[in-house]
Amino acid sequence: VNRNVLLHWKSDGGSSATFRPSSRLQAAVRRALLSIDNHTYRTVVVPMVAFLPAPLAYGVALVRSDLRYRLMRSSRRKIIYSFGLLFGDRLSQRECDRVARDNFRSMSCETIDAMRLLGSGKALLGLVEVRGLEHLRAALAGGKGAVLCSAHFGSPKSCFSIIGALGFPITIVARWRYHEKRRKRLLIKLHYRLRNDYPVNSHLHRPNIERHPGTWGSAVEAAMVLRRNELVGIMIDAEVRPGDPSKPMTFDFLNGKAMLVPGATEIAQLTGAPVMVMLLRRLADWRHQVLEISPPIHVEGDPVVAFKQCLALVEAAIQRYPAQWRPLPVSRGGVGGPLEVYGFERSDL
Amino acid sequence: MESVISVYISRELVSEPQSITLENDTPLLESRILDSLSLLKLVLFLEKQFGIVVGGQELVPENFATINAICRFVNSKKATEKERE
Repeated sequence: VNRNVLLHWKSDGGSSATFRPSSRLQAAVRRALLSIDNHTYRTVVVPMVAFLPAPLAYGVALVRSDLRYRLMRSSRRKIIYSFGLLFGDRLSQRECDRVARDNFRSMSCETIDAMRLLGSGKALLGLVEVRGLEHLRAALAGGKGAVLCSAHFGSPKSCFSIIGALGFPITIVARWRYHEKRRKRLLIKLHYRLRNDYPVNSHLHRPNIERHPGTWGSAVEAAMVLRRNELVGIMIDAEVRPGDPSKPMTFDFLNGKAMLVPGATEIAQLTGAPVMVMLLRRLADWRHQVLEISPPIHVEGDPVVAFKQCLALVEAAIQRYPAQWRPLPVSRGGVGGPLEVYGFERSDL
Repeated sequence: MESVISVYISRELVSEPQSITLENDTPLLESRILDSLSLLKLVLFLEKQFGIVVGGQELVPENFATINAICRFVNSKKATEKERE
């Protein structure tokens, strides 16, 4: 663990055991303000500014994220500490601070990205340089569809929809958060639907293939999409939740171990579909992005080996642009919650 | 047909065959003998072995709950496909 980060984390007001704010009232007020900011930003501000000229739209996102970075002390500390664990001594304290701030910025900009997908998606497509489409076209010419592996990196909500907006039939294996039990309240469901369904899902060819307890046919559903010579998108760094019907395996990942499901390459091997890794990363000006599609990964032999190759490409991108990886949902409570997802034991903390 | 399917499941889909007694009415989904990926392997095997094509709407638990259910499903598929011919 990066000692600089640990020292910084402790000196920033948090105890070594829990992130405890100085008083409950202060914490409650801060939570209420942040919640108001969150809902206002997503339902009022973003729809109003998203279609303004890009420098202005993304400028608003940056101002808002910097404000949240200052206000969300607990989450900020958690993120800084998490990046310290994930990257060991590679990041200095100053770099960890910058990476954490950029992580906040990346999240705010993602909401603008998603809104700019509304309609034909041209408002976002104009800001994205796509590299490697020839691999996709060649794969579809083979007639067996293709599996596109991506990660929670850059603008993960938009990356598969960009491929859809470019005219490729794509279906994703994913579970939107508003489908979960805790999102059953009608207003919240409606709010999520307005934000996700219209701009993001409208570019996806079929309803999402959802993998959760009680479902058992997701791999077959994905195979049937591939049979129609269409694309299947899968996030290979997705967390494995309790009761998940898949059988996860442990992989070396960054500075630790990760419990992941190598289903993407197994499905590809069984169906004969090629596998490619696709990552959407944001450039330094925060509004332009590059969507990079790798050449096909060899899946003839052991699918786990092929999965490791995909993971290595994702890991290389994370090492190079750490702020753009999104393993650390700030809303999740508890020290190390998100880290446990990636196989870190509590004892590591 | 039952024995062919049973042997395939035991050999190819169960990681520790000695720990499971596979009967024709053993619940395959509830006991987690079949997960998402092993179900895909089984569907591809059935298609190749018995010359059927499984459609998306046929992916219901009733068709894959036990070896008996799978046999009923395969037989009905074969009958339907023969009628079409």
